[in-house]
Amino acid sequence: MPSSDRRNIVGINAETVSNVTSTDFPGHWPGEDNSWNLEKFRNTFKVDFFKNDKHHAEFDLIHIDASIANAFRRIMMAEVHSFAIEQCYILNNTSVIQDEVLAHRLGFIPIVGNHETMRNMKWSRKGVDPKTNAEYPPTVNDTLILHLEVTCQRIPGAPKNETDPDKLYTGHTVYARDLQWRPANSTQQVKFGDDPVRAGNPDIVIAKLRPGQEIVVTSHAIKGLGKDHAKFSPVATAGYRLLPTIDIKEPITGKSAERFQKCFPPGVVEIVNGEAKVVAPRNDTVSREVLRHEEFKGKVQLGRVRDHFIYFVESAGQWDSDEIFLESINILQAKVNRLKKHTLRMLQQEEEQAEREAGIEDADAMEE
Amino acid sequence: MANTQPDITMADAEEEFIINGEKETGLRIRVLPGEEPGCASFQITDEDHTLGNALRYMIMKNPKVELCGYSIPHPSEAHMNIRIQIYPEFEDEFRPVDALLKGLDDLNDLCGVVREKFTEARDAHGKN
Amino acid sequence: MSQPAGERSYQQTAAASTMHYLCAECGAKVGINKGEPIRCKECGHRILYKQRTRRMVQFEAR
Repeated sequence: MPSSDRRNIVGINAETVSNVTSTDFPGHWPGEDNSWNLEKFRNTFKVDFFKNDKHHAEFDLIHIDASIANAFRRIMMAEVHSFAIEQCYILNNTSVIQDEVLAHRLGFIPIVGNHETMRNMKWSRKGVDPKTNAEYPPTVNDTLILHLEVTCQRIPGAPKNETDPDKLYTGHTVYARDLQWRPANSTQQVKFGDDPVRAGNPDIVIAKLRPGQEIVVTSHAIKGLGKDHAKFSPVATAGYRLLPTIDIKEPITGKSAERFQKCFPPGVVEIVNGEAKVVAPRNDTVSREVLRHEEFKGKVQLGRVRDHFIYFVESAGQWDSDEIFLESINILQAKVNRLKKHTLRMLQQEEEQAEREAGIEDADAMEE
Repeated sequence: MANTQPDITMADAEEEFIINGEKETGLRIRVLPGEEPGCASFQITDEDHTLGNALRYMIMKNPKVELCGYSIPHPSEAHMNIRIQIYPEFEDEFRPVDALLKGLDDLNDLCGVVREKFTEARDAHGKN
Repeated sequence: MSQPAGERSYQQTAAASTMHYLCAECGAKVGINKGEPIRCKECGHRILYKQRTRRMVQFEAR
């Protein structure tokens, strides 16, 4: 099996992958330290930014272990909060789409608005209040009310042979933009200011109607986490891939170079003076097409850099994409601090327990 | 807008470490039976691979640690078990729980550096 | 509406029991009294649908 001599390259072969696991641990390589060193990490770790739009960020984290890179990815998808519709009160629905399906669809519409205000809103309480023996009611601080009311009507005087629904009917398509925010009180309205609550993407189609059909729904949106339901995930996608490498072992020239170039996406391989040169391995999709051809056997080694993570974060609209990543760091850190506190408390309890037992033993000894 | 402090998600919390509004329910960690000097397994409640694997890596980075591994015994129970064994020559001075605490501190420091470098690179690039 | 059943006169009962249905063919709202043929008054179609409940129905968006 071919394997790379460079330690941080994961080998990609026709049917296998090789050199997969990290080995940067103390005791693994003779004569190497590899123990955790914050200064060393600070000096080697690198972040490169490529794109930073509201809805799409792309950046590289270099020289970080997969276990930590993966923790950030998991937190971005499942543990960063966002708002989504949770309860639907269907007053009328004569469309062909069933109530429960309509409610399910409404849930997946990203709800956006003044970010700071939404961030400061409380978590809605679930379960039963022991004082009143009833479910916790929604409050101004944890619930946003959105109303959807659309009726489809025929446009009078449309030509007989007309087929375009736009010319035949009004309200024939229900869009996410038809969701109207109904501020629970004036304070809530003032808090959102000139950035009111609305659908993250106005063009999402919720349902289609025909004349006489009507949808009237009032719904409550609350704060939630992706681990509870995917509708609460603040990202459309968030993930990473490892930087690909293409190592040409022997020169590839002439017609062969042209065929070699065609094995990769455009721009990855260029022909310089009749010889194939890899210019943008980052753009490679690692399709392994090149490994299927007999003529390139032994001339090329594909791989991926084990500690070079190319992140892509696509926000659903409630957060800026870069902020979602920053929030994931905050949350990981908060988890760590919480566990530390609990561990220290556990040690303290153990100590108290030991002291108590020692006290009893002393008392027993006195009696004897 | 850079939020650099971890307590933003814990806006409701005073001293307590409430993450994402969840309720504080007793101790989140306990020592599993079979503890000996130099080796112990801890059971952590309400944590998964997110913290499990990251913490395992940080603890394995400790030269006094002979072995560290984690498992989630059952997918529908919110428990994560983490096993730590210390090399016999260090077991008098360094308990498994010390390795756990050091791992947590190191992971916390790492997060600080990642945030610092990320913010730096982001600000240099600017918003598109 | 909330009158006890026993106190209703015959006429009142007849008026209150006018049920409205929707024609399957033309979509018109058809009021039908007891004993009347099941038939659309606009187009004569014999298939009528029951109207949707006016009550609010609550769903979890999950």
